[in-house]
Amino acid sequence: MSEIGDIRSPQGGHRRTVILRHVGIFVSLISAWEIACRLGWLDPLFFPFPSAILTGFWRLYVAQGNIWPHLGLTMAEVLVGFVAGSAFGIGLAICVGMVDRLRRYMKPYVVILEATPRIAIGPVIIAAFGFGWTSKTAIVMLVCFFAPFVNTLNGMVGVEAEKLSMFRSMRASKTQTFLKLMLPSALPEISAGLRLAMASALGGALVAEFIASNAGLGVLINQYTSTLNMASAFVCVLTLSALGYFIFRGMEELDRILVFWNDRDRTARVGERRKAAWAAGKGGKS
Amino acid sequence: MTAMAVETATAGDHDAATLPVIAAHDLRKTFAGGSVVAVEDADFQIRPGEFISLVGPSGCGKSTLLRMVAGLLERTSGSLTVHGQEVTGPHPTVAMMFQKPTLLDWRTAVENVLLPTEIAGRVTDADRRRAMDLLELTGLKDFAFSFPSQLSGGMQQRVALARLLQTGADILLLDEPFGALDEFTREHLNVELLRIVNEVRSTTLFVTHNISEAIYLADRVFVMTPRPGRIAGIVEVPFERPRPLSIQQGPEFNALVSRVRATFESAA
Repeated sequence: MSEIGDIRSPQGGHRRTVILRHVGIFVSLISAWEIACRLGWLDPLFFPFPSAILTGFWRLYVAQGNIWPHLGLTMAEVLVGFVAGSAFGIGLAICVGMVDRLRRYMKPYVVILEATPRIAIGPVIIAAFGFGWTSKTAIVMLVCFFAPFVNTLNGMVGVEAEKLSMFRSMRASKTQTFLKLMLPSALPEISAGLRLAMASALGGALVAEFIASNAGLGVLINQYTSTLNMASAFVCVLTLSALGYFIFRGMEELDRILVFWNDRDRTARVGERRKAAWAAGKGGKS
Repeated sequence: MTAMAVETATAGDHDAATLPVIAAHDLRKTFAGGSVVAVEDADFQIRPGEFISLVGPSGCGKSTLLRMVAGLLERTSGSLTVHGQEVTGPHPTVAMMFQKPTLLDWRTAVENVLLPTEIAGRVTDADRRRAMDLLELTGLKDFAFSFPSQLSGGMQQRVALARLLQTGADILLLDEPFGALDEFTREHLNVELLRIVNEVRSTTLFVTHNISEAIYLADRVFVMTPRPGRIAGIVEVPFERPRPLSIQQGPEFNALVSRVRATFESAA
């Protein structure tokens, strides 16, 4: 262990300086902000003291704890809308992808839908579903539908002709061709579509809450800014940053699981697992 | 391994040597409403266990001919029979291998080999053993649980070859299977192919644009010329199969190469 440590020490030392520099840059940025506020260069009315934001975190999360229901609601809207919207998108793409004739007639609608900013339909949806969580979830669904739909369709259409010929020469049924060839071939693109959808889901939920709502982080931000409680508004924004970051990491992880064969280490591990399963007499995968 | 050879050879054994396994009469394929003639009036008969090379430049219709035999492409006119039956679509006694390995990236080598069995029905323990045996036959025993991305191009084609044999088909169609590989790997795989084909006693159609490769592998070489695509001549190869690579240095082999070339030139 110590030997390895010795060999690696230049690299380890390098990593330590990198971390130190990151901390240094972060601390100086925050200090510069704090100092700029104290010297009156930044108006603390709009750009609150970092220290005020820090105490805001304490107040919103612990002392008053009033962010929790809003945070929970926004997350629920995002999750439900994402799952429903992307499932709908993938499902519809599969239906269209399996029927050549349908695919040809879908094109103009896809193009028009792509050109329309999805959020423009937001007020219509709110008028239809009301101010509650259903309209927000519906808007997130709308925002999350498109990328998985288009990517799934592209992935299915993009299957190599020779592979399709191979399946045909093996006299595979349409269902077999879909399950064993087209769907897994499309997985990398489907996964990329899901990542895009997830990235826009959070934004979609927020905008929907800005338009009209009675709860959620978007409403909270609106309330705090209208009462010039900027520190609390920043707490909400930073909460969203953290949420977005974790969603992003989660989607990356999902991609590594779904499309394991594009990741070298994971491919090796899955190979070992399949080998063990085979030895245990369960071999072969459906 | 002998058990396997018997298993794959049965389909051709009924009328052994008397009836052709594949027969074409005035076989014709045109594209674009008849303006492009891909295959013109092909006539040939292939006996059980024969190894036929189809050699010719790109666009001579050799792949089109192969795809018609595979039942992947409809003929325009003429007749084409496999085991005495008119070809109307993919047939269980015919299996095809492509220039690309066409492996499924999410399946290990042995899972890829098992694909034809899965498509045909349920996978039994016997099928699994057979898949492993075939990977051993193609020299990939230690890579059964590797994924395609972990294998070299040559190894991927070996998996594809094992998958081809797993179908149990007694007619094997190979469309430039080693064309994308380097010279050394290709020669090596050709030697292996002859050994394996001898072991499973299949009837084999091999498409290539390499004259030496065509002669080295085949009992008969169908020489094809383009525009319109047709079989300009058939060259018999007298050597016993399997054969060592060294026969390619002999004067007899060179004479055969010259004959194939002459067939091209007389047609041009």
